[in-house]
Amino acid sequence: MNRRTGLLFVTPALALFGVFVLYPMVTSFSYAFYGWAGTARQGFVGLENFTALFTRAPFTTDLPRALWHNVLFFVGTMLVQNTIGLTVAFLLHRRARTRRALQTLYAMPYLVSPIVIGYLWTLLLSPTFGPVNTLLTKVGLESWALPWLGDPDTALWVVILVSVWQWIGFPVLLYGAALGGVPDELTEAARVDGASNGQAFRRVVLPLLVPAIGTVSVLTFIFAMEAFALPYAFGGSTGNPAGSTDFLSLLFYRTAFDSGSTDAIGTSSALATLLFLLIFGGAFGATAVLRRHEKGITG
Amino acid sequence: MSVVPAGIGAADERTDVTSTPDGVLAPKGPSGRRGTRGRQKPVGGRTASVLLWVYAAFALVPLLLMLSSSFRSNGDLISDPLGAPWPLSFDAYREAWTAGNFATYFGNSLLVTLGAVLLSTTVSTMAAYALARGRSRIFRWLESLFLSGLMLPIHLAILPIFYLFDGAGLIDSRLGLALMYGASGVPFSIFVLTTFFRQLPAELEEAATLDGATAWQTFWRIMVPLVRPAVATVAVFRFVPIWNDFLFPLVLLRTQDKYTLPVGLTTFFGENATNYAAVFAGLVITTIPLIVLFLVATKQIVAGLTAGMAK
Amino acid sequence: MTFRSRRTGTALVVGAGLLALAACAPSSSSGDGGADGDSTTLTVWSWRVEDKAAYEKIFDAYEAKNPGVTVDFKPFKATEYNKILATGLAGSDGPDVPQVRSYGGLQTTVASGSLVPLDDAVDLSAWDENIVAGAKGKEDGKLYSVPLARQATVLFYDKKMFADNGIQVPTTWDQFMSVNDTLLGKGITPLAVGAKDDWTLPIVHEVLGASRFGGAAFQKSVQSGEKDFTDPDFVASVDVLKDLEKYMPKSVTGVAVTDAMTLFSSGKAAMYPGGSYDLAALQTANPEMDLGVFQVPPAPGAPSGSEATTAGWADGNFAVNAKSPRKEAATKLVQWMATPEFGQMVADDIKQISAVPGVTYSDPVLKDVAANLDANGSPYLLLTDFRYGSPSGTDLLGKGTQELFLGSKDAKTVSTELNEGVMTWFEPTS
Repeated sequence: MNRRTGLLFVTPALALFGVFVLYPMVTSFSYAFYGWAGTARQGFVGLENFTALFTRAPFTTDLPRALWHNVLFFVGTMLVQNTIGLTVAFLLHRRARTRRALQTLYAMPYLVSPIVIGYLWTLLLSPTFGPVNTLLTKVGLESWALPWLGDPDTALWVVILVSVWQWIGFPVLLYGAALGGVPDELTEAARVDGASNGQAFRRVVLPLLVPAIGTVSVLTFIFAMEAFALPYAFGGSTGNPAGSTDFLSLLFYRTAFDSGSTDAIGTSSALATLLFLLIFGGAFGATAVLRRHEKGITG
Repeated sequence: MSVVPAGIGAADERTDVTSTPDGVLAPKGPSGRRGTRGRQKPVGGRTASVLLWVYAAFALVPLLLMLSSSFRSNGDLISDPLGAPWPLSFDAYREAWTAGNFATYFGNSLLVTLGAVLLSTTVSTMAAYALARGRSRIFRWLESLFLSGLMLPIHLAILPIFYLFDGAGLIDSRLGLALMYGASGVPFSIFVLTTFFRQLPAELEEAATLDGATAWQTFWRIMVPLVRPAVATVAVFRFVPIWNDFLFPLVLLRTQDKYTLPVGLTTFFGENATNYAAVFAGLVITTIPLIVLFLVATKQIVAGLTAGMAK
Repeated sequence: MTFRSRRTGTALVVGAGLLALAACAPSSSSGDGGADGDSTTLTVWSWRVEDKAAYEKIFDAYEAKNPGVTVDFKPFKATEYNKILATGLAGSDGPDVPQVRSYGGLQTTVASGSLVPLDDAVDLSAWDENIVAGAKGKEDGKLYSVPLARQATVLFYDKKMFADNGIQVPTTWDQFMSVNDTLLGKGITPLAVGAKDDWTLPIVHEVLGASRFGGAAFQKSVQSGEKDFTDPDFVASVDVLKDLEKYMPKSVTGVAVTDAMTLFSSGKAAMYPGGSYDLAALQTANPEMDLGVFQVPPAPGAPSGSEATTAGWADGNFAVNAKSPRKEAATKLVQWMATPEFGQMVADDIKQISAVPGVTYSDPVLKDVAANLDANGSPYLLLTDFRYGSPSGTDLLGKGTQELFLGSKDAKTVSTELNEGVMTWFEPTS
């Protein structure tokens, strides 16, 4: 395909993307460099809004904490979601008759709006009316009947695990597909050499899945850094209880729309810019590392 | 500079596919894996089967709770949040559908979502084809630009978007909303589709060009049918977040007659804060179309993802 | 699936999509009818979705008196209203008369230059000054809106449950504690508190502790800079919450405020500390319930002269959009909102305590709350004075109280941190 035709093919997408995504986003970044009085733009202030994020209350306490929660969200999701996703995909592999039905069932929670998910799980985990604690008490595990969403030690993990529950369909589908690409002859050969199922998986299959795991990791990173809807549905914009489910996007939301200070647009745009740089830098770095690693194993 | 995650980006180099339309997405092999799969025993046996079904129940229980609650009366729900839905009561649905205006919201959601998905899938398929096939440097650069969009938290730009729409007279317009969603779907769609086009052998186009087909004819008649599972995957995965989003319609729409389901639902929440049964009915009405769509499209999605991840 | 059916399917989708695009061409917005001839349509925005019918009735009365004027009431979801209002007022098709937030929540809107000063249009000199303060710009002291309602912090109780258990409404702190103990002994949760939602906790603190730190007198000393939140009386008022935690539901920080309300309205709890804004929801949740209200007596050690009090604040003001092409008609509507006629309708139809002085109440509970407010009112300090900057007093105390209940911080630390947070922006008046 020659260059001119190619550009013609790209133009509609570029125009749409440029006008409705790039332009507003760049404008939003530019807001970070101005002073604001409500929605009225004042003069150019350089990096003042950015320094405010590191010197002014409540950012000095809220920003590091929110960032830490985003990191935990990423690490937790990676560990739990990848482990469960891989295990389930591996178990489903070669179950030709039930595979699609199960894959579809696992993906169901993804279809439900995060607001609804938050509503349902808050109900299920409520210490006053929730069935989870009622059940735990009935089977004698009373010490396990915790105030799940009321204790900072558990609330963040509940958010992470419910997110894993909602999105598990993706790794199951993706890893299932990747496993489908591993020639059976390879595992067969390992079995013939006396390896168990687990050993065959670790030594033969897992290395071949590295590209798929890499893709899932990068997407999970972007997803974790942008986390908003589910934490909002669980803990509101302040990350209840006691800020234990606060995330960067929630901090942005609070700063932009719930704050009493009149320069909210400036500081919140500065925060949005930082968030973008973080996501972009992280995803780019991870991709570079994975590329190198992949070259290493495929020779 | 490229930000394509490694797994998908690297797939093209190692893909080995046949060139018949039906076989393109299945790896080549004398027996085909489907044949041998039947003979191999599933990993984990019975125990694993039980575990897998238990997990499926875990995935579904909260959704079933929502469904069963919607068939109960409100008084029942308050006194016992988890009772059985007997006898079935359809009052909540009647209330949501008529008093809650859900019929109108439903139509709006369908219009906006279908319009947006059609728009973003069409322009993205065209662009992805060019990006996968173009050899000039500019295409690498454009691809990176589009993919950087995957990392743009677009909801953070709500204010500039509002000003843009206000200036263009697109406030309170379903067309504006569809354009917005269409644009926000471009990065993801291009990301997935480019990978698929890269897997298709170049000989196909060369043959078509020799037969005198134009670039458009080659694209539309030969290439697009071959990536149909990918197009279906992209369409479904864009459909879900657009259908569920409530931020943009809330800010960009004004008239209640134009509200989409999630906005209508939040209004309905406000008006019926204590009428839990009706709220649950509203939730079910909002979710059902997605489940139907997903069930219909699973086959295509699995095929699409399989081809994307196969190497 | 056969090829043909697949083709039909595609055609259907494409067809539907095209139809979608055709159908959503920019429509002529019917909502904003301009001033043509002598007919004017005023658009009013609000976050009170639940009051739509009441407002329509009220504005019907206005329309009847002012021929040619149509008032179009558009409510939006409360939690998203700030965003909608900020964008709406900045754009070209915003409301003529927006409902705006009070006190600190109003300042962003004022600073944007979105509102018309109303000092010459309405005279509120006879109104409660703490209420009117919520309608003014902090910087310039001008009046930018007319307060709609007064809210009050309230301790609701179940009259029937009190009677059944032979309990009298307490008038001293000791009586209040023994009421709690009696209820606890009978397996009833005395105080239905939902501490999972941090925003309710400063209100709970006002209900239970305002008389301990000294209500209105304390506000004056804080405003003048004479005292701050590290004052022993304030610390002790936070400690009151910790002392009362045993009378709240178990794992109180995991209990959502809707759960707390359900506990109360389903007869599992006896008292519910909340606001007058909860009244309608409580009455809907259990129409049979015989609701009463009382003021919590001062805890031991309260400053001398401190008595049981009801904390109040202005909630929801109406203003005039500076960009409105119908400012004159809009101002006239807002002027009407400052009349006793409108105030009485607010009391009767919206069932709120009107900000207009001299309104009477038919609902017995509302009547009691309004009487308490008039007799022993004090400002809900953290909202009326400490929401003009970030971090806000209510945010800090809400989070701090959660930490208090969780045991990770004591009352002194919570108060000190509240003080440090607000003092980053607060300036005493003298």
